[in-house]
Amino acid sequence: MSWAWFHRFASPPWVYGFAARWTPWFGGAALLAMLWALYAGLVLAPPDYQQKDAFRIVYIHAPSATLSMAVYTTMAIAAAVGLIWRMKVAHAVAAACAPIGAWFTVATLGTGMLWGKPMWGAYWVWDPRLTSELVLLFLYFGYMGLRAGIEDPVKADKASALLAIVGIVNIPIIHYSVTWWNSLHQAPTRLLGKADMVWPMVWPLLLMFLAFFLFFGTVLLIRLRAELLRRERNASWIREVLA
Amino acid sequence: MKTGSLDVARLVIARDLRLAFRKPSQLLQPLMFFMIVATLFPLTLTPEMSRLRDAAPGVLWVGALLSSLLALEFLFREDAQDGTLEQFALSGQSLTWMLFAKTCVHWLLTGLPLALSAPVAAVGLGVPAEAMWSVVASVALGGFALSLIGAISAGLTLGARRGGVLLSLLTLPLAVPILVFGADATHRAITGGDIGPPMQLLGAIAVLGVTLAPLAASAAVRIGLE
Amino acid sequence: MSEFLSMSGYGKYLWPAFGLGFGIVVVIYVSALSSLSRARQDAKRRLEMQS
Repeated sequence: MSWAWFHRFASPPWVYGFAARWTPWFGGAALLAMLWALYAGLVLAPPDYQQKDAFRIVYIHAPSATLSMAVYTTMAIAAAVGLIWRMKVAHAVAAACAPIGAWFTVATLGTGMLWGKPMWGAYWVWDPRLTSELVLLFLYFGYMGLRAGIEDPVKADKASALLAIVGIVNIPIIHYSVTWWNSLHQAPTRLLGKADMVWPMVWPLLLMFLAFFLFFGTVLLIRLRAELLRRERNASWIREVLA
Repeated sequence: MKTGSLDVARLVIARDLRLAFRKPSQLLQPLMFFMIVATLFPLTLTPEMSRLRDAAPGVLWVGALLSSLLALEFLFREDAQDGTLEQFALSGQSLTWMLFAKTCVHWLLTGLPLALSAPVAAVGLGVPAEAMWSVVASVALGGFALSLIGAISAGLTLGARRGGVLLSLLTLPLAVPILVFGADATHRAITGGDIGPPMQLLGAIAVLGVTLAPLAASAAVRIGLE
Repeated sequence: MSEFLSMSGYGKYLWPAFGLGFGIVVVIYVSALSSLSRARQDAKRRLEMQS
């Protein structure tokens, strides 16, 4: 199997074209999945025995939370690839991820607060999961702040890449905090196999997860194009692309 | 003649200590800052000792963290400016080991004095005398872990504008576990509980820090020196 | 319909939650598009200045 297809991903003009071509497909699929999952979650799924209709917040809260962590992980992996193989495109991917992940983290914290108030009686508690998710937001801000604070773009790429990699320890902490500590936040819910939720509640959630991942792909491809344009100052391929 | 690792460490530590004691006022600044912070809380919260005692772990740790952050700036900045860090990186010796030595000096000059003076602040916060040794121990161990983590962010912000603010912003998320367990240890010390579990966790973080932080710090410094 | 809106009494938390969450989704999308359009404009301007 030739490595040619992998090498294409190192070429900014090729990646730009790839991103431009695939954005509408990811976007269309994301929109469809989101609308369908929204309808299924709000209308089709039966109310919960204990939480009644309040449990439906899971359809916006859980995907946001998962994406906030998945985007960071993508960012850290892209950063590592950029450092190890010195690929500019990888650094561009990492840079594109940061604002997306930060927003998802805000959404997670906000929707979580609105779910916490009726369920626990408080908008916020300093329990390990909420605290480490807040720390994740600080990490995103730190990453973006470090990038903005270093003039030399190559140094900015490398330094922020190192930060992203160091901060990856927070992700398992967020995820396992509910099992390691006595946390107010709910323990992980088994969705498949011996599920803790009935299927009519589960499949809209799985669909929403898919929708959010497709959405992340869409937005990443858009921001990646912007990053590549900003970085490739004098390249001739830009002339063709803009025409 | 190749210099051995222990000799390198001794040389770096001796140099840093000598330079630091040339400006003793700079050494006292973090301590003074700590005292001021510890005073601000009773002034703004409440003079009631019983309620201050509850807040004491947090006040001590926030004060220690802020003072450490202040002192972290000096860890690499002067050496970066006068070219010493570059010489370290080019010397053919392990930059990781040299930075670890520098971090140890930073703790000796900041974290340890903070820990030893914590009782003074603690008295003002209503902490009982029996708890003092545990308070010192927890702040000392946590301070060591803080210095290690801080070395990473100090290295990362070497080339950045407004590095000082950024340094604090970057250190904070990574320092959260240290704060959580350190404050827990201090809290247990004050209420007479068993400080074993959080101290062990602090120790584990410190060990992890010792093995990984200087590596990350030296990578960060090399990036900044390019 | 009013049953749907009230969501067994939790409506005043649920609807703002969905509004916030999907509102942010929209913000993410729009800010990405605007970032791309700004990058295109800057690149165009740079090319014009060179030629």
